[in-house]
Order: sequence, then C-alpha cells, then structure tokens
Amino acid sequence: MAGRYRVGVDIGGTFTDLILIDDDTGEQTVGKVLTTPSDPSQAVADVLKEAIERAAVPSEQIQHVIHGTTLVTNAIIERKGARTALLTTKGFRDSYEIAREHRYDLYDLFLEMPQPLVPRYLRLEVDERVYADGSVSKTPDPDQVARLVAELRDKDIEAIAICFLHSYANPAHEQLVGAIVGEIAPGVRVSLSSEVVPEIREYERTSTTVANVYVQGLVERYLNELVKRLKDLGIEGELFLMLSSGGISTVETASRFPLRLLESGPAAGALASAYYGDQAGVRNLMAFDMGGTTAKLCVIEDGQPLTSTEFEVDRKYRFKKGSGLPIKTPVVELIEIGAGGGSIARVDSLGLLKVGPDSAGADPGPVCYGRGGTEPTVTDADLLLGYLDPAFFLGGRLKLDLQATEAAIRMKVAEPLQMSVSQAAWGIHQLVNEAMASAARVHAIERGKDPRSLPLFAFGGAGPVHGFGVATVLHSPKLIVPFGAGVTSTIGFLTAPLSFDFVRTFFGQLDRIDWQQVNALFDDMAGQGDAILARSGVPESERRMSRQADLRYSGQGHEIRVDLPDGALGPDSLASISEQFERVYESLFGRTGPDVPLEAVSWRLLATGPRPEVRLRGLAGGGGDARKGERLAYFPAWGEHRPTAVYDRYLLAAGAKFSGPAIVEERESTVIIGPDASVEVDEFRNLHVEP
Amino acid sequence: MTTTAIDPIALEVLWSRLLSVTNEQQAALMRTAFSTVVRESQDLACGVFDTRGNMVAQSETGTPGHINAMATCMRHFMAAYPEQALAKGDVLITNDPWMTAGQINDITLVTPIFRDGKVVAYFANTCHMLDIGGRILSAEAREVYEEGIYIPIMKLFQGGERNEELFKILKANVRTPREVEGDLYAMASCNDVGGAQLLEFMHEFSLDSIDPLAEAIIERSEAATRAAIEKLPDGEYENEVYSDGFPDPVLLKAKVTIDGSNLTVDHAGSSPQSRYGINVVMNYTHAYTSFAVKCAISPEVPHNEGSFRPVKVVAPRGCILNAQHPAPVAARHLIGHFLPGLIFGALARAMPDRLMADGAASIWITMFRGAKPASTDPYTFMLFQCGGTGARPTKDGINNTGFPSGVAGVPAEVLENLTGLVMERREVRPDSGGPGTYRGGCGQFTTFADRSGQTWSMSGMYDRLKFPAQGLLGGKAGAPGGFALSDGRQANPKELLFHPSSTRVDTALPGGGGYGDPLKRDPNAVLDDVLNGYVTIEAAEREYGVIVRCSKRPDEQVSLPRHFSIDAEATAALRSRAQ
Repeated sequence: MAGRYRVGVDIGGTFTDLILIDDDTGEQTVGKVLTTPSDPSQAVADVLKEAIERAAVPSEQIQHVIHGTTLVTNAIIERKGARTALLTTKGFRDSYEIAREHRYDLYDLFLEMPQPLVPRYLRLEVDERVYADGSVSKTPDPDQVARLVAELRDKDIEAIAICFLHSYANPAHEQLVGAIVGEIAPGVRVSLSSEVVPEIREYERTSTTVANVYVQGLVERYLNELVKRLKDLGIEGELFLMLSSGGISTVETASRFPLRLLESGPAAGALASAYYGDQAGVRNLMAFDMGGTTAKLCVIEDGQPLTSTEFEVDRKYRFKKGSGLPIKTPVVELIEIGAGGGSIARVDSLGLLKVGPDSAGADPGPVCYGRGGTEPTVTDADLLLGYLDPAFFLGGRLKLDLQATEAAIRMKVAEPLQMSVSQAAWGIHQLVNEAMASAARVHAIERGKDPRSLPLFAFGGAGPVHGFGVATVLHSPKLIVPFGAGVTSTIGFLTAPLSFDFVRTFFGQLDRIDWQQVNALFDDMAGQGDAILARSGVPESERRMSRQADLRYSGQGHEIRVDLPDGALGPDSLASISEQFERVYESLFGRTGPDVPLEAVSWRLLATGPRPEVRLRGLAGGGGDARKGERLAYFPAWGEHRPTAVYDRYLLAAGAKFSGPAIVEERESTVIIGPDASVEVDEFRNLHVEP
Repeated sequence: MTTTAIDPIALEVLWSRLLSVTNEQQAALMRTAFSTVVRESQDLACGVFDTRGNMVAQSETGTPGHINAMATCMRHFMAAYPEQALAKGDVLITNDPWMTAGQINDITLVTPIFRDGKVVAYFANTCHMLDIGGRILSAEAREVYEEGIYIPIMKLFQGGERNEELFKILKANVRTPREVEGDLYAMASCNDVGGAQLLEFMHEFSLDSIDPLAEAIIERSEAATRAAIEKLPDGEYENEVYSDGFPDPVLLKAKVTIDGSNLTVDHAGSSPQSRYGINVVMNYTHAYTSFAVKCAISPEVPHNEGSFRPVKVVAPRGCILNAQHPAPVAARHLIGHFLPGLIFGALARAMPDRLMADGAASIWITMFRGAKPASTDPYTFMLFQCGGTGARPTKDGINNTGFPSGVAGVPAEVLENLTGLVMERREVRPDSGGPGTYRGGCGQFTTFADRSGQTWSMSGMYDRLKFPAQGLLGGKAGAPGGFALSDGRQANPKELLFHPSSTRVDTALPGGGGYGDPLKRDPNAVLDDVLNGYVTIEAAEREYGVIVRCSKRPDEQVSLPRHFSIDAEATAALRSRAQ
C-alpha cells in the first residue's frame, strides 16, 4: 500500500475529531469540527478536507482512513433503526421479551425493563425445531416461510432477524430461511443468529442478532456515503473501521456485522492509553477518562486493553447492570460510572454525603457556569478547592461564578453536615475519587489484576483534575498525564492492527473430546481469517493466528478464557491446557475447584495483521519559565487553602522536573498534583507524577 | 473510636468500600457455581458481618428470603463456635431451616476472617443446593426428616483442609454429588474473595476493627428507617389473603401497627401449621415481612441490622408462619412469597399511591427428573419461572418477572442441554394481567415434553391456581394459574407426578393484579395492548370499555398498527354506560 500518511477520524456526540500522521516524520495534524447529525459523513469530509489542505498533504498519499463512530449506539438508544421483524422457533417469539425473568433491583417497586427493539406484533414464528444435540425434529416448510416473508416484504419490513433454538449447534434451518428471504425479499436485510453470535442462551443471542440487523441498513448507507466522499476528495487509500474490540475491519465486514462498531470511540480511547503508556515505557496500566457526566476505566495489560463479550446497550438505569439490552460481541472492557464534573452532590436521608450518579449535564451545568444551575457539582467543588482558575476555564472561554458556587455548597452540603465550605468541597472531591477508585478496583480484581501495580493514565476534561486523588486511593505507583488531552483518543485509531475474531461453540469434556473436530474448527476459522487478511492486503508472512478456549469445570455455567498452545491439539495438549486453566482460576477465585474434569464450551481464533508502527516525533517546544504564578488551593494535609504554584503546560519542556503541590494548566484541562509528589516531563512531554 | 468520631464523609467512603467487597463476593460465587440454581437463577445471598454478628452490608442482588434470613443466622454460628474455637482457614456450614433460610436445601457457609490472630469479621453466603437427599424438593413430606440430610453447624473446612468425612457423607446422600460439591467450593471461594478484600481495606485505612464502622452504619440506617416510619400516620392496618395451600387453602393475615417510629407486623389469625411441607419458619417469615416493609417505606436505606431493628414481626407459635420442628418446610416459599403482597395491601391505606397491587407472588419451581436422550444417565433439574407482577400507581405491572423473589429464569437451551426435556413453548399469556388504569403484568404459557422415551417425573411448587392476585383501588384480579396434562389425568401439581414419555405438561402462570379503575385506562394503551396481543379485542371491550376495530384480513399473518383503531364514539358510549 502506497502512501506515508494515515488518518483517524472519530465521530462523537458533539465533535468530530481527526488526527493525521506522517509515518515518515511522525508529525501529526489534528482537526475538530462540530458533528453533523443529519449526515455524519459531511463532518468527516469537512474535517478531512480542512486538515489535508492545512498540512499540504497530497490526498493520494493517504494510505488509509480509520474511522470510529457512535452511530450504532445512538441508533439503538434513539430507536432509529430499521423496521425490523424477528422470526423465531414456534412457541418462542416471546423469549426476547420474557428475557431472564429477573429484577435487577431488589427493592425498587417502580423499576422498568429494557424495551425490545422489535415490538411483539412483529415477532413471528416458524414451525421448525432443532434439539440441543443439533438433531432435527421438524424442518421448516419452505412454502409457508415464503408466504410469510412475502407478506413481511409487502408490509415494508426492512430487516429480518432469524433466531431459532439451538442454531449454535445446527444452523441449517436458519440458513434455509435466510436463503428464502434472500430470494423472496432481496431488498430486506437478514441476520442469522448462528452467524452473528453462535452461542448458547437464546435471549442474549436473539437480542444481539436483532440489534445487528436493526442498525445494518443505517450503517451500510452511511459507510457507502463515506466511501464516496473519500473518493471525491481524491483519497484512494482504503477506509477501515475501528471495532468495539479494539480491532480494525473492512467496510464489508463492518456492514455485515455493524454491532461490532458499537463502542468504537471509547475503544480508541483505550488503545490510545495503551499507546501512550507504551511510549512512556509502561505496558500495564489503568486508563482513566473523566468527562462531564461519566468516567470510564479500562485495564491495559501488556500493551492491550482487556476485552469481554458481555455488553449492555440502552440501560434504563444508566449504570445498573441488567437494565439494558444484552449484546454479546467482543468489546474493550470499559467500566463506565456516573461520576463526572457535572455529578451532583447532596446529603441523603441518612445524613451522609452522596455524589452522583445524577448529573447537571452541560445545561444548566454546574452552579459556577452561571447558567441557572443550583445543585452543587464536582466541578463546583473543584473550583472552590482552587483547582480550577475562574478566569482561565476552557482557556478563558467561560468565566466561572465563584460567589454563587460557594453559596450553593454552603447551603446544600456544608451546613447540613456542620462543616466548613472547604471541608465540604474536599468531601465532594474525595467521594467522587472514591467512587471511581472503587469501580477501578472491582474491575481490576474481577479480571485478576492487582490495582496497586498499575500506573494510572488520566485523560479527558476532568481526568487530570482527579487523577492524583484517584491514584492516591488506588495506591497506584504512578500517575501519567498525556500532553494535549484533546487528541488523546483519536491516536488510538492509528495504533490498532487489522484483526478479525471467530468463535465456534463445541461442547466437550477435555479428557474425551473429539480433538479432530476441534482441529477442524480451528482450520476452518484460520482459513477464513487468512482469506480476510489477504483481502485486506496483509502479506502472508505478517498474518498471525492466536487461539483460545472458553473452559470451565464440567458442570459450571461460566467459563474462563485460556490461551491454547500452537499446533494441532490432541490428548497430549491436555496437561498444559489444564495447568493454564488452574493457574488463571486460582488467581481469580482464591482456590482451585473440586477434582472434576474440564469442559470446553467455545473455541476462539483471532486473526491479526501487524501492529502499525506509530512514531510520534519527540515533541519539542516549551522552555523558559513555565511557572506562571500561584493561587490558593486546598489539600487535606494542610486543612486550609495555601499558595500553590501554577505552571503553564505549554512551557514545560521535556526533561523538566518539579515537585508538588502544583497546578499545571492547559486549555482543555488542569493537572492537580498534591504535596510531596515529584513530577517529571518525558520526551513526549507527558507528565509522570509519583505520589 | 466512637460513632461520632467517624465524620460523615469518612463513613461514606468506608461504607461504599464495604459494599463493593460484597459485590465482588457475589461475582465470584456466580462465576464459579456449578448448579444452574446458583449460576443462572441467582438463588443466593452474600454478606459481611461484624464481630458481634450484626449484618453490615450485603451484595446488591440475590433473593430476599436468603438475604434477610442469613442476616439473623450469625448468632447461631457464634454460639456453636465462639472465637476461641475457630482458626484461620475454617469454614462453617449448616442447613438448619429454623436457624437459616427455612428450607433444608439452603446451605449457609460462614468464614471467619482473621487479622493478627483475631477474628475481625465474618463473611457468609446462602445458596440453594440442587439436591440435599431425602425426597426430591416438594411439598409432600410430613416431617422435615424426610426432606433431606440435616447438617448441624460444623466445619466444612478446618484450617484450610477439607472435612473429608463430611464431604463423604454429603456426596453419598445426594443425587447430584458433583453439583453439590462444586457449589460448596464456589461458596467457600466467594467468602475467600470477600475476606481478602476486607483485609486489604482494613490495612489501607489502618482499621483494627470494623465494629465502630458497623455501629455507625447500623445506627444511621436505624435512624433513617425510623424517620421513614414516623412519616406514616399512626394506626392499625389489616389485610388478609389466601394461598391455594396444600391440599387445603391457607389464610394469611397481617395487622400492621404504626406507633411513632416503631412498626409491628402481627400475623395472628393465620392458618395453623400444615401437615405438608408448605410451612414457614419464623426466620423466613421475618425475612419476607421486613423485605416488604423496606420496599414500601424506605427502599433507599441500605439493608443491615439497623434497618431491621425498628420492625417487629410477630407470629404465634405453631401457625403456618411460625412452624415448629419437625414440621416439613421444603416448599415454604409458596407461602412466604405471599407476605409482601399481604403487607402492601395493609399499608396501602397508610400510604396511598405508593404501593403496587398483588402479583403472581410465589415463583413457580419445578423439579424435573428423568433420563437424558439416548442414555439412562439420570438428571435432576430445578426450573424457576415467574408470572406477572402487580400494577403500580403510575405504571403497568411487569410481564413474567419475579416479585418478591429475586431469582432469574433459565434459558430453554440450557434446560434442554442438561435434561431429556423439550420446552415446546414459552409465551406471554394474553389477558392474564389484571385490568386496571394500569394493567397487571402478564403470566406465561409453557409446555414441557420428554424426548428420552423413558418415564419422567416432576414436582411442581405452583400456587394461585385457585386464588388469583387481587387488584388495588378498583383494579381487577389477574388470571389464576393453570396446570394440565395431555393424557387427561387430573392431578395436583404439588404432588410428585410420574409421566410416560408421551405426556405433555402445560402450565399457565398467573398474572398480576391491576391498579385503579380499568375504565379509566388510556384507550391508546388498550389499543397498543390489543395490537401486541397482551389483551384480546374481546377483553378490551369487556374489561376496559374500549371498542377496537380490526381491519386485518383472515389471510394476513402479520399485524400492523394500521389494522387496529379505536371506535371513539362507541367507546365513549360504552364507558359512560359502564360507569
């Protein structure tokens, strides 16, 4: 592939961000425009055109454009997908609604369940049946199916999800009905559950398959439009999509499995953290992104974000597990909690201080914005603590109202708790740090990681303000704050390798499983992976296949993912696989299980191309006296406000050293550093803070 | 450190840490459990206790009968094994129904946590075992001795070593030794994970003891619960409901007395204890009664010893809600799950517009036994299913969702993989939600068949076949449950029934009661229910006074919104006549 430039573009709710890198020089260009919701490809074309002109890049020299978008998530939340019908096994059209019959909150009498994407009147049944072992009880009647499909077509149905019982064991009926749809209603999009997510548990599989086809048309139209716009700009390099797993795929694959794009923006943020960490010599870290309404956390292990296959979209209670529609797809495992600058502080019925998850949002926003907000928020507390400069917020674009903020915290928090305003503000700051640290800790431990061994990498508007506090609570060995929070996420697009994952369900106790069958499954997956990498232009010598199995003690219901040895598998592999399983199990749960055989549920293969080399040029600049003054700030060790040094981030040059307490200001954020900490600026101008 | 020494911010910090410890505990349990009862259906509870045995925090989900019953069991463990009789690595066990969760299948494991040679806390969890020997779980026993093997409080692990003799006895007495052993390991791991986190947390905050923290949490929770009770008008509020019982109907009564900041629930007048296994021990009665009070008046107050204190629960000895040893108790949830509805019905007069109508109440449990297809390998499988919940003052009830129980259902695919059964349908049951301004949640139809070619058996703990869920404030009752065999036999599902392979079993789960006058329901909501088949066109007219016209042709299979419309004139006329 020709071309020395690569481009990453992220469409967010408010802004569309771009990064363009010259792979020869490491030089980077960034761009930012407002997102254009009616035709999102417009903003992409605009920001791209502006950036290539500004950087004087010949468009044919662009090797490829990698793109992430919140389109899929938004389409589901706003119910803007296709008119979708669901075909199920006879007797099971309500599996999608009956779900797991479970209340996700024990005490809330007014709780609501997630609303299916397909209403009951469009859930229809096909008289067919496959048993658990894959054997066929009843074959669908093609004529009956054809009549039903014709009627759906004539009633303007745009998409059909097909989810039959036990199709993970035998997909023949889904394939048969899918083919009939293709014949009778070629304009209607189809997703088969056995293709989208061939895994046991019908509710979760149905929910995933429906969501996939529900957004497919939208995504396909959008991607086609985008490809056209890139052509119009003279860009010949291929368009790739960032997947929620952190991998990259072709437009063709993304159009077939659009759900894979679900969380592609946050995935890029996680990859960016991995990249910056790597650059700073840290391969294991906790990425921490805090914005206005939420904070996101992600563990990076050996330079890679951890991934999971459990995800929920459109939660009724935003942060409550079980209140959303389950989606089984590989996702970068992010913990999102309702803690941001806008989170509201209040005193509850027990006389204790609570922060969040309700948020003042951007409108009216915190009290200090002076736009009518009356409830004290985290940003208000940060302001009173002296962490934010009332005259330099967002680079001076918004003047903050100190007096109103103090009055609100006094009335709503300090007086009810009988403490000083400073103590109350510190309490708010500390509690939100605790909430984030607590989520980080549970997340790390669930994945068998020790949070005390992971440096904290803080970004996002509020991340650097709270990073020091969170790192202190977590006993992180170090806090790292990148230079330029604004471009932190988009660089993630350019650091991911092409990768495609495959999964096959094949149950069996490992001491008597049919290894030939297992090897055949892997051969099949490897063949597909190889072909798709070849189509994407990856030379044979650089294609990598890694294999894993989801294993458990025979009789358990949840699996642990274990790496498999290379080469053909057979009875000889058993010892090393078992050893690996027990090692992971014990680290997670404190002890190994009873003496029963291991059982495999699924077999996974990940086909990847090479990881792109991104070499940012050492960022020159800065120098001179970075210390621009001082202001009063509060730290708990002092119990009062004292004069604290303020530094200009843009003047801090590589190699600079200083010690806390300190406040480092840049346009989009402020880094707070507590007393006694030591700070060092690395060659890429990242701050390394040791508490 | 005294209570007042912990400032409110430090307290909140420590407390949320403790809660996250119990959530980690539960996550570990579900991920390592063997039986679907624990791992799919979450029939469990996890919590942490201070050194005096007071429950301080519990994990977020689980089921109330376990959580609250576990909360009161710790004193029995401490009496049997005082601190000096315990060592690091010990794990205590019992399934005494009177001390714990009211059923011999429910095992509780307690792990003392040591720091510097002293016990600083206890972690506990309660889980339902797939099998515990004796009769297969049913209402049919005449004495608790028939219901399974009884484990007095003893050590399952001693100093980290398995109590091999106990494991041998347990495994030899149950039908599913692998699941039982695996679940016991999962339960032990779960307490380990909690304990390790707690020690870490004590180290970080330099705490020698969590007792002052526990005391502060408990005091504040008690004060908040009392404040919530004080807001209710003093007085006595009574209600009664009937359960189908076994074999005869059972009357349940509650008199709720609110006196300042104290709330007493007296169950006097309820039926005497039964000869069959539907009896409830006091601990379980207390669990569901205090759960109901908490949901009604103070859902936001955390659940711990403090939130129990202001609520007093009374039931005369020997009544069905305070059954005495050796009464059989295996199917106690059939009665226990009626308590929240019973109490809401009483409290509704003290707090109108805040409570829900009665729902399906008892979760439907079926124990299936038989052989897997093409083999004689036996299986034992426990299935949970839910009918509809009651309608709320501002919302419809929820279709097919458990209340008060917090357990979850099991996917048909998991059921069929582990048994010789075929689930032939699982459908929302039309017209089963009680009519009201807000409609009760719908129940479901399910059909079970066998494909092993061999005899199979079932024991169904089903209720509300005779007494449907009543509506509230003008809302009407939900549909009662149904049970039928394809071979035409008439049978009581609560008996252990053997079926030839050819027999199909049909169940119809009950719906929840409606809330408010159905004639006041928004006609568009009725139209939407007709379109989606939750309410039939006939019931729309009969129950709601809404005339829906349908233009769908008989040869059309797919309904669309345009097929249905409200005849506004006819509806107005019908509704005014009916008023």
